[in-house]
Amino acid sequence: METSQKGRWLQVGLPAAGVTAGVLLIAGPFVATVVRSILVDGGVSAGNFIGLVTDPRFAAAAVNTLIAGYCTTVLAMALGFTLAWLVARTDMPGRSWFETGNLVPFFLSPYVGAISWIYLLAPHGGLLPWAARTWFGYSMDWLNIYSIPGVIWVLTLFYTPYVYLFVIGPLRQMDAAFEDAARVHGASFWYTLRHITVPLVLPALLSAALIVFVTSAGLFDVPLALGSPRGIKFMPTEIFSLVQYPSDFGRASAFGVLVLTVTILLTLIQRQFIANRRFDTVTGKGYRPRTIHLRTGTRIAALTLETVYIGGAVVLPTMVLMMVAFSKLWLGHFMWRTATFDNFVYVLTKYDLTRSAILNSLFLALTGATLAVALSVLQSYYLTRGNPRRRALVDALLSLPLGIPGIILGLGFLILAIRTPLYSTLSIILIAYIARFFPFATRTVTAMFLAINPELEQSARSSGASWFQTMRLIVLPLLRPALVAAWLMLFVIFIRELGATMLLYAQGTETISVAMVILSERSSGYVAALAMIQLLLLLSAFAIFRLTRTSISQS
Amino acid sequence: MSFVDIAHLTKRFGDHTAVGNVSFQVPQGSTLALLGPSGCGKTTILRCLAGLETPDGGIIEIGGNRVFDKVRGVDLMPEKRELGIVFQSYAVWPHMTVAENVAFPLKVRGVGAAERLAKASKMLETVGLKGFESRSATLVSGGQQQRIALARALVHEPRLVLFDEALSNLDAQLREQMRLELRLLQERLGFTAIYVTHDQAEAFGLADTVVLMNQGRIETAGPAREVFARPSSAFAARFFGMNVLEGRSAGAVEGTDRVVVTLGGRFGIEGVAGQGLDPTAGTPVLACIRKESVRVSRDAEKGSVPGTIAAMSFLGVAEEYIVDIDGVSLRAMQPAAGFRRGDAVHVAMAAADWIVLP
Ligand SMILES: Nc1ncnc2c1ncn2[C@@H]1O[C@H](COP(=O)(O)OP(=O)(O)OP(=O)(O)O)[C@@H](O)[C@H]1O
Ligand SMILES: [Mg+2]
Repeated sequence: METSQKGRWLQVGLPAAGVTAGVLLIAGPFVATVVRSILVDGGVSAGNFIGLVTDPRFAAAAVNTLIAGYCTTVLAMALGFTLAWLVARTDMPGRSWFETGNLVPFFLSPYVGAISWIYLLAPHGGLLPWAARTWFGYSMDWLNIYSIPGVIWVLTLFYTPYVYLFVIGPLRQMDAAFEDAARVHGASFWYTLRHITVPLVLPALLSAALIVFVTSAGLFDVPLALGSPRGIKFMPTEIFSLVQYPSDFGRASAFGVLVLTVTILLTLIQRQFIANRRFDTVTGKGYRPRTIHLRTGTRIAALTLETVYIGGAVVLPTMVLMMVAFSKLWLGHFMWRTATFDNFVYVLTKYDLTRSAILNSLFLALTGATLAVALSVLQSYYLTRGNPRRRALVDALLSLPLGIPGIILGLGFLILAIRTPLYSTLSIILIAYIARFFPFATRTVTAMFLAINPELEQSARSSGASWFQTMRLIVLPLLRPALVAAWLMLFVIFIRELGATMLLYAQGTETISVAMVILSERSSGYVAALAMIQLLLLLSAFAIFRLTRTSISQS
Repeated sequence: MSFVDIAHLTKRFGDHTAVGNVSFQVPQGSTLALLGPSGCGKTTILRCLAGLETPDGGIIEIGGNRVFDKVRGVDLMPEKRELGIVFQSYAVWPHMTVAENVAFPLKVRGVGAAERLAKASKMLETVGLKGFESRSATLVSGGQQQRIALARALVHEPRLVLFDEALSNLDAQLREQMRLELRLLQERLGFTAIYVTHDQAEAFGLADTVVLMNQGRIETAGPAREVFARPSSAFAARFFGMNVLEGRSAGAVEGTDRVVVTLGGRFGIEGVAGQGLDPTAGTPVLACIRKESVRVSRDAEKGSVPGTIAAMSFLGVAEEYIVDIDGVSLRAMQPAAGFRRGDAVHVAMAAADWIVLP
């Protein structure tokens, strides 16, 4: 009797504990930010908000952020849809390679991307201007990467895969008869694309657009690298500078509350209106869309687009990073005369800051991914097997952080921890990481959980297994592909995280990304060497991801 | 006057020849059914006609207009072929209303909004969907979607309409009803039609001409009644559900078109010689007879042979039997007579109902 009581307690209590932990992780920084935003000199007032909105710097930051977010969204939608369509529906040469290639930027660090583009395009000392001048006698000085278009360019490179991932499935699964019927009844290819294909994937496209807008506008990495050096203000960098000495936490929190409100509103719109409007585009005995034959002109255009995209997001940045990392002194182009391993040797063995930063990043990524995945299993169990009436609310609550900018969550945890022993420890960074990103894991694991027939568990229980044994022997093995995917995704995110870490690090708890920021004013060689090390970690995770994915789909 | 003329059409997917050297004509205003088992290339022919696949060889003419010619390099885009099409999945666009779906062919032809709506409404009325105009296309049933697809295929008054298994997703009753309505519509509007189907009842119910396909080639083609009554090959006979029995010729009956065939042991029959049959005694032949032409009764009659019921199944109005005659199994179908397994019966078959094929 007693053991069965204990079993029941586990079965109900553990998932509930997972959900509670998730809610606390979200609510803590959220409440802290809201409370701090209305505190002025110990009293409650709207002073922070008034001070904020009357500050011309706020207006500049808000406008620049909206422009960058909007343009990035539009460009990423156009590029992501086109690339997905080319891969899914045409006979573009090498499309199985591009299918993977288009996803690689998803796994790279936007901060590293931005600094690579500085090495590539800085007005003085950039690789591309140097090459244009030396080989073609052409001056590219009018191109300035330290600008709003520069920020938009790098953001677009990194957010295109989001759109690509959202629409490639619907494009693949769409019943080709929808398009064929339009063609036979008199519509041209372009008319069909505009009036049939695009409207049919529009729900997916709009979902992607909102997510891209919210997350790209909230990203700290790129404005820090490309806006701050020229004093161009953006929301995330502005919040960051508000908590630097002389700090104004009240105003920073007020800014955070405004951003949170907009983010949550947009997320709710996406959940309520768009995600549910998916058309059932696979009806009856629909057949696979036939691949569309590209004629020579279009084929060249398609390959050019792929080359520009993968070249701009992956190949050129990696190339220039290697050049910088292996140069004694970077003067805008690579010279064998000055080639050296010193940067790597120094960063890996001699310099305390970078050595501990690498160890910290590894610790945070390994521990954080493991804890967050464990948490996500409990939450997914609750979301798929728990009390049906509370599920929808819990689901909405737990997915809130998906769109919240890292810098704002970091601010919340900073306010919470500032007078506690947690302040300036690795633990607070770890907690912030898990709080910001566990919903990714919960999403992935829940989707897999839904695919598992509950009868598999019920028959294990009927055969005499306890709840815990059922989880260990039946559920977890079945969930394994999702657990691996979620773990790798979080590992990648944690290795490159910058926004939250910038607010929470202290001497001794720097990460690789933070160390790059600190060193960026001192030595491009060290930064590039660190970036190469980070890149290797990210690419190995990506490689494992692809390998496990194929072995899963093969089995 | 043939309206559709297909000559030497060939389409390969990799090494697989989906359609091999197929030629046929469809007279103006008539209906042709492309019939055959799954994977025999029916849909592929239809898609080549519509311009949705590019054939590897051959010529296609529609209304005297050459729309495809491999040698001359003619390949008209689908939208230039002026057709209507109904897919098995209907392909009713979920992001448009019913009226927008139906009016689509008019819209792309630049017809004004008012005229478009009027014509679409009229066509919806014709297919029995009056008043559905502003309904979302996702909110109608399967049978209604089928009618929307039909209205959309006819609204721009194409002279050729293609149907790919257009009735297969409907339940039996609705299918019957739509079949009759389609015939009436066609008589009224006078379009030429090509139906793709693997259901013989649908083919014979709808078409004037039937083309039976087998592995990408034409097996038999001709007027519906003829194709059905006198199958010209064992494949056709089996496809139409006939008994096909192996035997040996015992020689032609002098002065007639009949052959005597031994089917095993002492059991022999007399039947009509099919095309290209060599009646020399001893030649292996196939003797075919429709299940419905095999009569099973308790009492002997003139020319009947004794047999045993080996199996029976009750089908409602009819019963199907497998009768064992001297080691030869023969299927028979007739109104329920209540025979059981093991019953001794007499089987009567008319010589005119047997067809002997090489
Ligand atoms: N796009 C394609 N790529 C490769 N093979 C194809 C393609 N389309 C059809 N085939 C093959 O060509 C053959 C004929 O196909 P088709 O769709 O014309 O058959 P069907 O007679 O319509 O059959 P069903 O009754 O099942 O619809 C089949 O073997 C099929 O597998
Ligand atoms: Mg077919």
